[in-house]
Order: sequence, then C-alpha cells, then structure tokens
Amino acid sequence: MKSAVKIAIASAAALALAGSLAGCAQGAGGDSGGKLQLRVATFPPGADQAAYDAFATQEKQFEKLHPDIDIIGVEYEWKAPTFAAQLAGGSLPDVFLVPFTDTKTLLENGQLMDVTDEMKSLGYSDKFNPVILNEVKDDKGHIFGFPRQAYANGLHYNRDLFTAAGLDPDKPPTTWDEVRKDAKIISDQTGKAGYATMTKGNTGGWQLTTQSVSRGAVDQTDKDGKVKSTIDNAATKETLQWLSDLRWKDNSMGNNFLLDWSGINKEFAAGNIGMYTSGSDVYTALVRDFGMKPAQYGLTVIPTQGDDAGVLGGGDVAVMSPKIDAAHKKAGITWIDWYYMQKLLDKDAAVADAKALAASDQAVGTPVLPVLDKATYEQDQEWIKPYVNVPLDQMKGFSDGIFDQKPVGESKVQTQPIYALMDNVVQAVLTDQNADIDALLTKVDSDAQALIDGK
Amino acid sequence: MTMTDDPPALAEPMRDEGVARHPQKRKRVRNPASWVRGGGLSNLIFLAPMLIVFAVFSWGPIVQSVVMSFQKTNLVTPAVFVGFDNFAKVLADPNLGTAIVNTLYFAGLALVFGFPLPIILAVLMSEVKRGKGLYSALAYMPVVIPPVVAVLLWTVFYDASPNGVFNVILGSFGIPPQPWLQSSATAMPSIVIEATWAAAGGSIIIYLAALIGVPPELYDAAEVDGAGIWRKIWHVTLPQLRGVLFIMLILQVIATSQVFLEPYLFTGGGPNNATLTILLLIYRYAFQNSLGGAYGEATALSLMLAIFLGILSFAYFKLTERWSTN
Amino acid sequence: MEHQLTAGVPTDLSRIERPQMSVKKSKRRESLDDLADRGVLSGFDRKRPGVKITMSAVHVVLLVGLVVAGLGPILWLAKAAVTPTQDTLRQPFALWPHGIDWANLSTAWNDIHIDQYFLNTIIIALGSWFFQVLVATTAGYALSILRPKYAPILNGLVLATLFIPAVVLLVPLYLTILHPPIIGTSMLNTFWAVWLPAAANAFNILLVKRFFDNLPREVFEAAKTDGAGPFRVFWSIVLPMSRPILGVVSVFAIIAAWKDFLWPLLVLPDPAVQPLSVRLPAVQSQTELDVFLAALAISTIIPVVLFLVFQRLFLRSAGLGGAVKG
Repeated sequence: MKSAVKIAIASAAALALAGSLAGCAQGAGGDSGGKLQLRVATFPPGADQAAYDAFATQEKQFEKLHPDIDIIGVEYEWKAPTFAAQLAGGSLPDVFLVPFTDTKTLLENGQLMDVTDEMKSLGYSDKFNPVILNEVKDDKGHIFGFPRQAYANGLHYNRDLFTAAGLDPDKPPTTWDEVRKDAKIISDQTGKAGYATMTKGNTGGWQLTTQSVSRGAVDQTDKDGKVKSTIDNAATKETLQWLSDLRWKDNSMGNNFLLDWSGINKEFAAGNIGMYTSGSDVYTALVRDFGMKPAQYGLTVIPTQGDDAGVLGGGDVAVMSPKIDAAHKKAGITWIDWYYMQKLLDKDAAVADAKALAASDQAVGTPVLPVLDKATYEQDQEWIKPYVNVPLDQMKGFSDGIFDQKPVGESKVQTQPIYALMDNVVQAVLTDQNADIDALLTKVDSDAQALIDGK
Repeated sequence: MTMTDDPPALAEPMRDEGVARHPQKRKRVRNPASWVRGGGLSNLIFLAPMLIVFAVFSWGPIVQSVVMSFQKTNLVTPAVFVGFDNFAKVLADPNLGTAIVNTLYFAGLALVFGFPLPIILAVLMSEVKRGKGLYSALAYMPVVIPPVVAVLLWTVFYDASPNGVFNVILGSFGIPPQPWLQSSATAMPSIVIEATWAAAGGSIIIYLAALIGVPPELYDAAEVDGAGIWRKIWHVTLPQLRGVLFIMLILQVIATSQVFLEPYLFTGGGPNNATLTILLLIYRYAFQNSLGGAYGEATALSLMLAIFLGILSFAYFKLTERWSTN
Repeated sequence: MEHQLTAGVPTDLSRIERPQMSVKKSKRRESLDDLADRGVLSGFDRKRPGVKITMSAVHVVLLVGLVVAGLGPILWLAKAAVTPTQDTLRQPFALWPHGIDWANLSTAWNDIHIDQYFLNTIIIALGSWFFQVLVATTAGYALSILRPKYAPILNGLVLATLFIPAVVLLVPLYLTILHPPIIGTSMLNTFWAVWLPAAANAFNILLVKRFFDNLPREVFEAAKTDGAGPFRVFWSIVLPMSRPILGVVSVFAIIAAWKDFLWPLLVLPDPAVQPLSVRLPAVQSQTELDVFLAALAISTIIPVVLFLVFQRLFLRSAGLGGAVKG
C-alpha cells in the first residue's frame, strides 16, 4: 500500500505548502510576541515612498511611547463600492475613517464603536466644534467617533495653465461667469480642459451639490421628521445648464467625462485640467498620491451667488468597529488620540507631527476647517507655522475668503445613494447634447424621494 | 494513515464490485468492518474532497441563495423573512428595465459583430494551406492577454481626445474623432468591439477544429453535382457546422447575459446608465452601497437571471448530448 | 471562478468523450490534415485564375488583419511601455520622438510592486490548479471506477450545478467566505477564498469522469487480481493514463485563475494578497500613464510567453473545450 502512503504524504505536503502560503499572506490580526497588533488605516493605495516613510517614522514614535502595541498600517481609501464589502466582511482596519455623510447611518445600524466614555476621559469632548461633533452623536448623545478633519469645497486651478492661456494666476475667477470665460480661454489657448467636474462613484452627485449650493440650492428639507427631496430646484437647474453650456457651447471641458475623485485628481495633477471643485484638503493627496508639482497649484473659494448661497463642506471621522475586543479598543483609542487628535491640541505633538511630515516632504499646512473650537485651531496654526511647506500664498484666495462664506453641511438622509442617482444626471448632461435637464431633475427628485421613503 | 492499514482486504472486495455491476443485488452484512472491507471507506476517502468542496462552496450557497431571496438581511441584525418583497422591489426598480435593455443591446450587438466574424475568419483560415499555425496563433493572441489588462489598454485606445489612439487612426482616414466611451450613444458599441476582439480568437479555434471534422467526401460529392464555391459553403460547410454553431450561439447568449468585467472597468455602468448591465446591477445591489448591501434584492435578481440561464443551459446540454451521441 | 461567472457551462462536450484523443494521436491527425485534408476549395478550384487571385488577396488581407488585430495592441503596448507619457498622449504612433524611457519598467516593477502581485497571481493560479485537479481526479475516480451504489445520485447533484450560473452564487458564496461553516473565522483575504470555490467545478469532474469511463476496465481488473488496492490503482494506473485530460483541466484551471477578476475583487480586499487583475485597475488612477502602461506590458508578458511555448496545448484545449470567456 505504498501508493496510499505516498498520496497521503504528497497531499499533506501540498496542503502544508498551501497553508503556509495562505498563512503568510493572511492579514495580521492577533497578538504576536506579546504585542498587541493594531491595524490602522493609512492612505490610499499607490502613495509614493515618502508617504510610507513619514508613516514609518510616526509609527516608530508611537511604538516607542507604547511598546505593547504593534502598529500595522493598512492602505485605505473610503470608496463606496468597496467599503460595504469590507464592512460586511470585517476586513476593515481596526481604526479607519468614514465621511460625515455615512456616520449617522452607520452608528444607527450599530456598526460603529461607542467611544463616549473614552473621549470624556481624554478630556476634550467639549473642545469640539459642536456642529461637527453633532455628526457623530446619536439621539441619546452618545459619541461614536473622533471628527479629525473637516474641509470646505474650494475651486482648485492650475496656475501653469492660467499663465499659458494669458490669464493672471493671482487673480482667479470670483463668479461662475468668470469661471466659464476663463475655462473657454484656457481651452482655446492650451487645448486642455478649462473646467472639469467629477461624475462617477457618487462624486458626481457630491460636486453637483457643491456647485448648486453655491448658487443657493437646498437638496433636502426636514419638517418634523418628514424628509423631502428638493433636488429639482432652480439653482441645481442653473448649475446643470451652466455645465451643459461649457460642454456643448464652449466645448471647454475636455474629452473625459467619466471621472471620479482619483480620476480627476490624476488629470489635474498631470496638467490636463484648468479648474475643478473639490475639498480644500485635496492638496495633500495631489502632491502625495498623484505627483503634482506644488508650483502649479492654486486654490480659491468657490464663487457664490445669491443670498442663500453657501459652501458645501464635509469631513471625516476616525472610528472603530464595534466588533473588536476591549484590548484593541483601548489601543485604538490611544492611536486615534495620538495620531489624529493630539496634533490639534498639544504643542509638542503638533510640532512633532509637522516635523515628521515635513521631513518626508509631506504637506504641512493644507487648508482645512477647524474641527475644534476656533481658539484651539488658531493656536495650532501658530505652533506649526515654522514647518508649513505648502504654498500658502497660492491658496490665498481660499484662506482669505472662506470665513466669509456660509458653511453648509451635506444632506442627512440617504446621502450617498442619492449622490449615486445624481451622478447619472451629470453624466447625461455632459455626454448627451440633447439631455432634457428638466426631465432629468424631475426623475432624480422622485427617485431620491423613493429612496428616502424606503428607508 | 488509517487508509494504509489493511491493503489486501481492501483489494479483494473491490474486484468483486468491479465485476458485479449490480452490487445492490448482493447480500451485505451491515456492519462497519464489512463496510470498510467492501471499499466503503476508500470510496468515501476519494469522494471527500469533492463532497466537502461542493457542499460548502456550491450546494450550500445555491440553497442559501434561494433562502436569502426571501429574506431581508444586512449582516448585522438577524435575517427576517419578507416573502416576495425582494422580487417586488427588484421588479419595481426602474434600473432593472434599463439593465435588461442594455444587456439585450449588448447581447444583440455582440451577436451581430461577434457571431459571424469568427465563422468567416475560420472558413477563410481553413483554406490556408501553409502557416495555419501562425494564423491560429495570431487570431488567438487577444485571448491570451488577461481580460483586465485588455480592458485597461483599450481604455487608453478609446481616449476621446483627437490624439487618442483610435481617433488618430480614424483621422488618417479623414473621419472626425469619436467620443467612444464618453457618450451614451457610443459607449455600448465601444464595449462590444473590445469584447468581440477579446473573444473572437477562442471561437475561431473552435470553428477551425470543427471544420477539420467536415468529411472531404461531401465536398467531392457536391462537386460531382456541379456545386460552385458558394454553394459548397452554403450546402456543405454550414450544415456540417450546424451543431457547433448552435452550441456557440447558446454559449454566447449565456456569457453575454452575464457580462460584467467590461462595463465595470470601462464605464462603471455610465454614462447615465447607458452600460448598466444586469450583473452590474446585481453587483450594485450587493456591494455598491457604502451603507450595507441589499443582499436580498441581489439574490432575488440573480435567481431570476439564473432561471432564464438555467433553461438555456439545459437546452444546450440536451443538444450537446444529442450531437455527441450521433 | 471567472469562467464560471462568464460562461458557467461546459462547452463542446462531444469532443471530450473519447479518451483516444491523446496528445500523440491528435498530433498525427493534425499533420495528416495538413497534407491530405481538403476544405471548400478543391484542387481544381485553386487552379482557376479568378479563385487564385481572390485567394491570394484574401490571404494578404487575412494576414494583415490578423497581425493588426492580434499583434497590433501588444506591439503598441510594448512601445508605449518605454515611451514618456507626453509622447504617448501627443503622438500615440510616433516611435520614440523623445527617446526611450526604460525607467518606466523598473518604476512599475518596484513602485507599483508588480513583483508582489505577480507572485500573488501565480500562487492563486497554482493553488486553484492543485485543488481543481485534486477534486476532479479523486471524484472522477470514485464516480467512474469505484462506483459506489450512491454514485449516480452524487453524479446527478454535481451535474445539476452545471445548470446553475455562477451569478447565483455570488452573494451567498461571498457570505460563506465571510462566515464559513465549522472553521468559523472569515476566509476573506486568504487565498483559500479563491482556491476552494474554484475547486467546486462540475465541468472538470464531468470531463475527467467521462475520460475515466472510457478507460479499459481490464487493466484495473488485472491490477486488482495482482493485489492492488484502490489507492494503488488510482496512483499507479489511472493517473498515468489520464495525462491528456489532466493537461486539458490544467490549462482551463490556470487560464481561469489568471483571468479571474470579480471574485478576487470581492474576497481579497487587502492589496497584499491581490492578484494583478484586481490590483491594476486599483492603481490606475494613482499611476502616471507611462508607468501604468509599463505595468500592463509586464502583466502581459508571462501569459504571452506561456502561450507561445505551449501553443499546441492551448489551441487544442481551446478548440476542444472552448472554455473561453464570452
């Protein structure tokens, strides 16, 4: 019966080999060598080496302070399609980030860890900007995450293209009409897209909302708990008509109309887009992940028109899954406090963080909105001033104007699914010359209402 | 190691069973020892890999999908039975109509482009006397490129600027630049062209193999009857290929009804849902929403698609069985 | 999984029936074809001047067409892989107007970590191959040669899964990977999540079983008389005799694993274990075009080289099974 022995041995060997291969590839998740392994979100896949270096430095600093915790950085990017799968599959890092738009639903579904007591014992739960902290609270006032960064949308522009087109890069447009005019000039003079907007993966809806809000749109109203979709409004219609004019009358939007957040960043960093709207904090990613040359970058406020106009903002929250055990929770809080919060609160931490980032050529000083109260924020800006390496003078339009604009939060109910519906509207307007804007808006409004009611 | 314990005892009854084709008619003592001696254990050992793998990864999930289509579940709270709600929701979704129309459009275009082309090429190639191997290899090359790489490469080809690869080629013939994937009207045909390019090689090879099986005597006989080249193709070649043609047709319909990769990577279903296919819709139900999948709706839609495809596969199986016994 | 998802049914079974279709014989048949076979055109047809000219023209068109469609994209990719981005964008067909940029290749290899994803792809392919062969041969042996009395039921259950398109399995199979029975811990981000579902492949079992059905029984009987047990018969007699069919199953298994996209996309969200097919689209937007094209080129090399080396096996498998994606 040698053959059977042989088979048994061969299969056992093969299985062992397979097992070891699978084993070595399996993400770490337990304890090793007495250390507690904590998997934390870092940055999107494909970042350059310097970003990894900067993170490694900070990881070392943290592990020196907390020798019992072994930090494992995990590439992470919040993307609607993969997030749900990762959430369901429990494959998210122990500490990860979610945007304000998802926080409410996630915490209502019991998918976020309650951190009320921990935040209180850290002693700064009252230091948050109350409007922002509200994003992570449930009805009973429990807190489910640490808002770590907020942004307002801004108008990003390529200074090189402005110069090449004979425009003054220090005088960016201040009205939507000027944006249109400049876009046409850039397009005619350089052959690049003068203006572009995101259209894919929910970002089309997000940026349509941004541009509509700056014309005074309100997409959702809430009367005594009865939520009504109001996407079919004059400001949104005007925005779509404006986009349609740029696309079909001026032909100043280039050739690619299937762009998501990374897609448009890549095109912009490559110098193919004159202007686009996005979060004010995108500079960091543009330089770190998309290889943009800082000198070409310009940022100003989004033009606002009308009395109701505002600037759409958002942000993200450092959270943990409710499924992790107490030891990981404790370690996770320690990490969040050290990595995200202390640099906003404590001089030494702020300086150390800025130093580490600057040493690896990572952006320090990218414009954001304060998540903590204004005094703390201004204090923080003072601390890191010597290390700021972003071209602040190229962002003057934004930093001078942003505090005069009215901040507007994103809709509360079914935000991302409704953005997904609005993607189609933007895509239709940009890819079909005969798109009927009125009909599209009527349809998206009733579809959005159906989503809200079906909730 | 238990399997090595008792070799001669295992060998003996095996021989009996191999000879006796009706083991159920033989008397058997029902006890474990005789079961082992009768080969029962070794049977199970050999069946074990299949049984485990199929139970966990095939039979189990099939049953589960039927159950889930009647449930509402978000993986956090326990699943609740909701009757036909999921089916009703899916059928009421305006996107379903779009997805069905798009899928039919894809399947139809793929048939128009993708079905006759390999046949024509195969018939022509089969007439090549020398270098048939080279021709086959060239035709098969696109199939060798991993599909994801092919789609990503074609995304570059489909660059809608006047400097895009295809637009430059068109330009050299004086044709204005096309928007390719960037327009609701041209996105689907563009996807079909790539899919046809990627798949034609495989079909050509199958047809070439089938053409070899056409008995030369039939051509000789047709010539005796005075048939010309076209009549020989029409009355000999095509009828002889009838079986494989029909099989390929069904296979293509089954495959195109489940198209996912190309629309997912090329356009994500856009612009304005112009390339949203049924499978993409299932994917969106289950995996797109950042706040948890509508798994019930996804399985309900899968099940409806499966019934349609199951009927096709069954027809296909019956046909291959019939032709293979001929 | 990909071939299940796209064309989840067996293909031309008629050709797989007979085990005499061994490598040697088909080789001989092919070479005979080249000499003696005739197609639509008779020797007389070929001598007619009109036909002669037309056929020459057809050859030229065919050859040029196949070179452009089959080789063109690969050659363009090879060129673009070592061309700076701006040249590719501005003059896609110019040959290195500003010199060759070899650094693209090393950047792709080192910075995008193509090496690691290559290794993952190979591990996934080899593992899927191993488990598919293991399950198919053991199950084929048990169902065809050992034939316990419940074999027909199992056979029916396996065959039934052929009619159920893999799309039905998508969601429940995904949930099974998240919460597998017995083991309890999620298989997400482990290679098992790809290997084991791939092994639940009824088509393989059908192929192998039909092949075994036609092996000469007398050989097994003789071996049993000599005292060989079922394991010995399997290892020393059946497996060596089934090389041809194992070759076919292996080609299918490896090609399918190499092409697979949707399934690894779902079950391997961690970049550290992702194969190229999943990784390439993910890094597309963060990578400069020239480096990205270099990455695509590198990912194409291995399949193309494998194809050129094992051309005959590939084309024969394709002609016979046609398990190509649709």
